[in-house]
Amino acid sequence: MKHALRPLAAAAAVPLSFGLAACGGGSGFDEDALVIYSGRQEALVADVIDDFEAESGVDVQVRYGNTAQLAAQLIEEGERSPADVYFAQDGGALGALAKAGQLATLPDDVLGLVEEKYRSADGDWVGVSGRARVMVYDPDQLSEDEVPGSVFDLTGPEWKGKVGIAPSNASFEAFVTSIRVLEGEDKAREFLDGLAANDVQTFDNNILVLNAAEDGLISVGLINHYYWYEQVAEEGLDAVPARLKYLRNADPGALVNVAGAGVLESTDKSAEAEQFVKYLLSKDAQTYFAEETKEYPLIEGVPTAEGVPPLDTLNPPEIDLADLDTLEETLAMIQEAGLT
Amino acid sequence: MTGGRRLASRRPPATLLAPATLAALVALLPLGYLVVRALSDGVGGFVDVVARDRTLALVGRSLLLAGVTTAGCLVLGVGLAYLLTRTTFPGRQLVRVLATLPLAIPSYVAAFAWLAAFPRFDGFPASALVLTLCCYPYVLLPVAAALTRTDPATEEVARSLGRNRWQTFRLVTVPEIRPAAAAGALLVALYVLSDFGAVAILRYDVFTRVIYTSYRSSFDPTPAAVLGTLLVALTVLIVWGEHRTRGRAGHSRLGTGSARRHPLVPLRRWTGPAVGAVAAVLSAALLFPLGSLAYWTARGASRQLDVGELVGAGTSTLLVAALGAVVTTALAVPVGVIAARYRGRLGALVEQASYAGHALPGIVVALSLVFFGVRYAYPIYQRTPLLVLAYVVLFLPLAVGAVRSSVAQAPPVLEDVARSLGRTPLGALRDVTLHVAGPGVAAGAALVFLTCMKELPATLLLRPTGMDTLATELWGATEVGEYGRAAPYAALLVLLAALPAVLLGWRRDQLDDGGAT
Amino acid sequence: MSELAVRDLHKSFGPVQVLRGVDLEVEAGTLAAVLGPSGCGKTTLLRVVAGFERADAGTVSIGGRVVTGVPPERRRVGIVPQEGALFPHLDVAGNVGFGLSRERRRSSRVGEVLDLVGLSDFASRMPHELSGGQQQRVALARALAPEPALVLLDEPFSALDSGLRAAVRAEVGRVLRLAGATAVLVTHDQEEALSMAVRVAVMRSGRLVQSGSPAEVYGAPADLGVATFVGDACVLRGTASGDTADCALGRVTLRRPATGAGSVVIRPEQLVVDTDDGRSGVPARVVSNEFYGHDALVHCDLRPAGSEPLVVASRRAGEVQPLAPGDAVRVVVVGSASFFAD
Repeated sequence: MKHALRPLAAAAAVPLSFGLAACGGGSGFDEDALVIYSGRQEALVADVIDDFEAESGVDVQVRYGNTAQLAAQLIEEGERSPADVYFAQDGGALGALAKAGQLATLPDDVLGLVEEKYRSADGDWVGVSGRARVMVYDPDQLSEDEVPGSVFDLTGPEWKGKVGIAPSNASFEAFVTSIRVLEGEDKAREFLDGLAANDVQTFDNNILVLNAAEDGLISVGLINHYYWYEQVAEEGLDAVPARLKYLRNADPGALVNVAGAGVLESTDKSAEAEQFVKYLLSKDAQTYFAEETKEYPLIEGVPTAEGVPPLDTLNPPEIDLADLDTLEETLAMIQEAGLT
Repeated sequence: MTGGRRLASRRPPATLLAPATLAALVALLPLGYLVVRALSDGVGGFVDVVARDRTLALVGRSLLLAGVTTAGCLVLGVGLAYLLTRTTFPGRQLVRVLATLPLAIPSYVAAFAWLAAFPRFDGFPASALVLTLCCYPYVLLPVAAALTRTDPATEEVARSLGRNRWQTFRLVTVPEIRPAAAAGALLVALYVLSDFGAVAILRYDVFTRVIYTSYRSSFDPTPAAVLGTLLVALTVLIVWGEHRTRGRAGHSRLGTGSARRHPLVPLRRWTGPAVGAVAAVLSAALLFPLGSLAYWTARGASRQLDVGELVGAGTSTLLVAALGAVVTTALAVPVGVIAARYRGRLGALVEQASYAGHALPGIVVALSLVFFGVRYAYPIYQRTPLLVLAYVVLFLPLAVGAVRSSVAQAPPVLEDVARSLGRTPLGALRDVTLHVAGPGVAAGAALVFLTCMKELPATLLLRPTGMDTLATELWGATEVGEYGRAAPYAALLVLLAALPAVLLGWRRDQLDDGGAT
Repeated sequence: MSELAVRDLHKSFGPVQVLRGVDLEVEAGTLAAVLGPSGCGKTTLLRVVAGFERADAGTVSIGGRVVTGVPPERRRVGIVPQEGALFPHLDVAGNVGFGLSRERRRSSRVGEVLDLVGLSDFASRMPHELSGGQQQRVALARALAPEPALVLLDEPFSALDSGLRAAVRAEVGRVLRLAGATAVLVTHDQEEALSMAVRVAVMRSGRLVQSGSPAEVYGAPADLGVATFVGDACVLRGTASGDTADCALGRVTLRRPATGAGSVVIRPEQLVVDTDDGRSGVPARVVSNEFYGHDALVHCDLRPAGSEPLVVASRRAGEVQPLAPGDAVRVVVVGSASFFAD
């Protein structure tokens, strides 16, 4: 006799028994472990977390995901969240969680490690590493001198159709917020409308903007600095024809933003959670961010990676990151300009 | 036979209706969540967003893309299915396996491969092309199954009545495979509506953009969830449309159900062009993205490979995808059987409800299960069972469509005979109908399996903390531009995807041998 | 005792009344045929008996037990559908053993039944490897294997070609008798019904209009409809007066006395046609001659010159002298005719 479903059933039986075994064994889910929701990619932070585990003896489990989606998940989970620490790509998501009352105040010995402008005013979260806004350009189309010295130049007719942005990215959004804070709402709206009217090219993320500059699709793009360094590390300098220009003139285009971390209000492991955040600000971890991800260390005494211009030479606009928490107005403005 | 008439008058037995209702309720979970959220925040903002000109324009663009992609998939899927089941196409068994593999390639990976190779090829044409190449197996699989199942006699009658091959195809074969093709087309349309990754990379703005932007903006799940209702409404319209195309024709073969095999159409001098066309499709859909990944591996510095991680991710992927396929198919069986065997409002309602989660972006479904999991099922929250439940919500229609069309083609008289020989209605279903419909049901399970393997948003949010699948690893690597590290994961994904396809092909070979004597 | 007793069965599908008070009894160990044109309700009757449909009113008793509400799987009723409907995923042995318990499947029962239908060598064949007649015999073996109280055959020979049909029919009849099975055959083929059944029930528009032995139904039809449906018939206008009636064939004897105007029904084999010897019978002219070998059907025109044609058919055994169209003949009626008053 021939049974149509037999091979199927046999194929199903194997994983089923696996599955039951896995469920019985708790799926490797450890009640005692410190649970970190990380909006930063595994490739960028896994080593740091491993080092923390080894050094502290604390058992850690990490859930990697998209920063915004993890924030939505945390808000949906509320008090019952299994998470103890939230490690985010940008301050905006941390600010939203703080606003929802889900972040605990960090102890002063953690907050004190970082300059005030790189952490929340209420002490809910703290910046861990810095990233600078830069202009990426195609050196085949223009020399560094020809790259405009201010983002506001990009609305000029000579840049029509030649500028690339990733308007739905948190880094771009923080940049627009900084324009609103520094230059006022009208100037910000005028800038965004100007970009839209100037046929600005929009991309889904920073990497695609960078690639577009490499392919000559755009002349100039607005990105964060480390994307370029990562791509050079991956493919070699020769394979990455695009170059970076740091504005260094307090222009909003020279904004320095942070990735940061906070401890969940609902955690029952606040000691370990705080220990972890503090570890992120240790010399070892900061050196790792500087050397491996080419980001800016935020504590005293850790140098920037070779080849990356030091933070104190960047001359970013004077702004307190805690003031960049009016994201919804920024988004409405970006949307009204028709960029997203 | 009085089959149609008598079926219409029967109510499905409780033993079918109860699990089918359960399946429908599971599928409706996200909708329940949307309602809870919408009520908690009021509908004012929702109306504001929906009424915006840009929102409506984006809905239009979504529908246009879905329409064009679906048409493309129908052409490719039906054409390939015919070539690979009915003609002397060389190596058709192997090619049939290969032709289903693009399902295993996440559409965002394919999109990235195209964009990387042709930076200026973007927008609508690129999106339509890439999604067509990713989705045509949704049509190919059911149509190929239907083409093998149909009775050769009807086509022979048409030929004997003076119709040529093409007219016969149009007048006899097309109506016979129409339910299968329509079911596949529906899946394509819903996939395109809910896709975000590919279109975002290829820079074609669609409605899902509004939903994703909404998460990024407020980090508040509510507005996005409420916008999701618009997609549900579109889904209802499309499902209803597909239901209408099915018409009233019953497609079960009268009589024994043991149809003869179709004689193969000799391709002769068309062999060359046919092979060329199929090779072109497979190159574009399969070799090209895989080749791109291989190229990046060769070029990238991140190509060091952690074999342990790869094996671990592969094992987890197999586990959750197989569980997803088994549970989804098990729940799809009662729904599909009711849809195929019992006409009536209740059956239609249950079947249509099963589509509710399918057009929603994975993130909305995932958050709805976060919502329910945290509140009502905390012990399984972020454990395998809840993830499997998410796969059920997302992919139930893939299996329901397969079950429905294959059960519809199994003659009901076989169930009568089984009952007269002492089987209960469920026993007859289990011992006869599901065996006769077996290949179709198995194809549905394979479809779910492939789709679960590459699922990303729900897997990210609901997997057990610390568990990695091939899709999450692939995403993690591409997100930071480490394409060299991504390649082995993509390759393993495609390799594992070949498993069910090969398994199904192998069974067909067995049958063919049986038929040779 | 009746193995199957159907009493006053009613069934409607929506506004359509399909069964309107059907009564039927079948003796244990015999084969009854339900004979009727398509759409007369016979398949519905069979489905109600098998338990696939519920009657709106009336009862079905099997082995003396009323089975209303009993699901098909507990009725012990075997069915043999059109074209056999073998399970395509099971081989012959698997099909035959389908209704048996696990133990009995391993016993000799499958082999016994396959022996009975003469297909012992085919146990491991798949259905698509069998001819139509073999498929039908497997279907019968499958129905008989669990020793059902009743076997229902639904037009089981309609899909077979005519040469095969007679042989399979005889074979099925033999097997059913050997098995001592009580069976109901549903068919629209009168020849099939008359040749196989000990009792024939004629059904029309949801009612049984006559039930009796094949000879009764054929020789003494209950009404004109039955007369014309069951077998060929020559129907002539006539006037009855007691034991005889006058019609175009002259004065014929009636089976039962009657009076007044009506239809005279004579079977073709009751009409003896011979070359015109000028003595007995009614003069006629041959219109056509359908030669079948064992017999022939001769159509003759009885009309007196100048009136409408009036053609009757006569069955002649083995043709000694073949008649040709145009031949002058005389037609004699043998035996008595049926008469149905208007």
